[in-house]
Amino acid sequence: MRKLYSILGVSFAVIAVLLAVLPLSNLAFIPAIIAFIFGILAFLRTNKEKKGKHIIQLTFLLVIIALSFATYKSIYAKTEVGNTEQLEKLEKASEEKAIEELEDIEIEE
Amino acid sequence: MKSISFFFLLVTAVVNAQNKTVKAGEVFNYNVSYRMSGIMNDIARVTMETSEVKTKKSTLLRLKCTAATFSKWDNYFKIRDLYESYVNPTTLTPYLYKREINEGGHYKFVKYNYNYKTKTVKSLIRKKSKNFESGFWDRNKTINFNTGTRDIVATLYKLRSLDIHKAPIGASDSFMVLFDNKETKISFKLLGKETINTAIGKKECYKLAITMANSNVLKGKNSNLIWLTADENKIPVYAKFKIAIGSGELKIQSVKN
Repeated sequence: MRKLYSILGVSFAVIAVLLAVLPLSNLAFIPAIIAFIFGILAFLRTNKEKKGKHIIQLTFLLVIIALSFATYKSIYAKTEVGNTEQLEKLEKASEEKAIEELEDIEIEE
Repeated sequence: MKSISFFFLLVTAVVNAQNKTVKAGEVFNYNVSYRMSGIMNDIARVTMETSEVKTKKSTLLRLKCTAATFSKWDNYFKIRDLYESYVNPTTLTPYLYKREINEGGHYKFVKYNYNYKTKTVKSLIRKKSKNFESGFWDRNKTINFNTGTRDIVATLYKLRSLDIHKAPIGASDSFMVLFDNKETKISFKLLGKETINTAIGKKECYKLAITMANSNVLKGKNSNLIWLTADENKIPVYAKFKIAIGSGELKIQSVKN
């Protein structure tokens, strides 16, 4: 059981770190919390069985990294539109073409 | 009897409605959020803009909607969409509609030239194709349309020009919308008035439910909603949508009118 908790803990922690790095950083909180819970469970078992704690330490370290990254990004990362230069050019060209096409249109009032 | 007279009132209102709401020079900015694993993520900016377009013989209103993903998404799924409708400023009747979408490598161009004398639309759909020298595959078609049929952009603006303040709660109105060469009936039902907090302040709004007949694009009952300010501008400030691949919302960020 200790092994299972440790593996699940470290797996969710890795997922949390990956999500925290990607634009989906908001989603990192869920696997980070799950990893933390499995980490605690594994830690309690390890204490009982008196086994090594390296993998649990790694889990907690990854959880801290993921949470720090995700929190930083949710507070400081700006939601800015990327380069729209081409879109702006397209808008202008499209309007010019439209005026040409609509040149002879007579609108009904 | 009451419902029949209301129906006639609505029909006359729609046919004869003169636009007093939509003016040139409006700019509305929205943030689009998409729900992933229960958490909302801001994915794109949508801008709705109006401007005057002068041709030799007339002055038209250009209704333009653009969508662009935020820079953090551009490396994964870049969206640069342009929707335009050139309409009669008084009746918001469209004369030309263009849609040019670039979504994660997928390109599509759609153009409708409306002819009200023959009640036909000259449609052009262009897609990228390696099979043609030009690199594009064009499909031209002439479609017959019913009176009152509009494209999606003109319909959105037409909705704003309606006298919603005269409609009772529960009243609904339908529009025929031409999308991808098919006429689809879209209905808007007034659910009531609601005061909501937005980036442009606390606003009293008309809450409308959107449904599409014979289509499974929009999911859920009253899951697709739009809030228009309950004033003479009827600005769409908030919208919720539920489609097959998930749900999301549009929130107003800034207004210039």
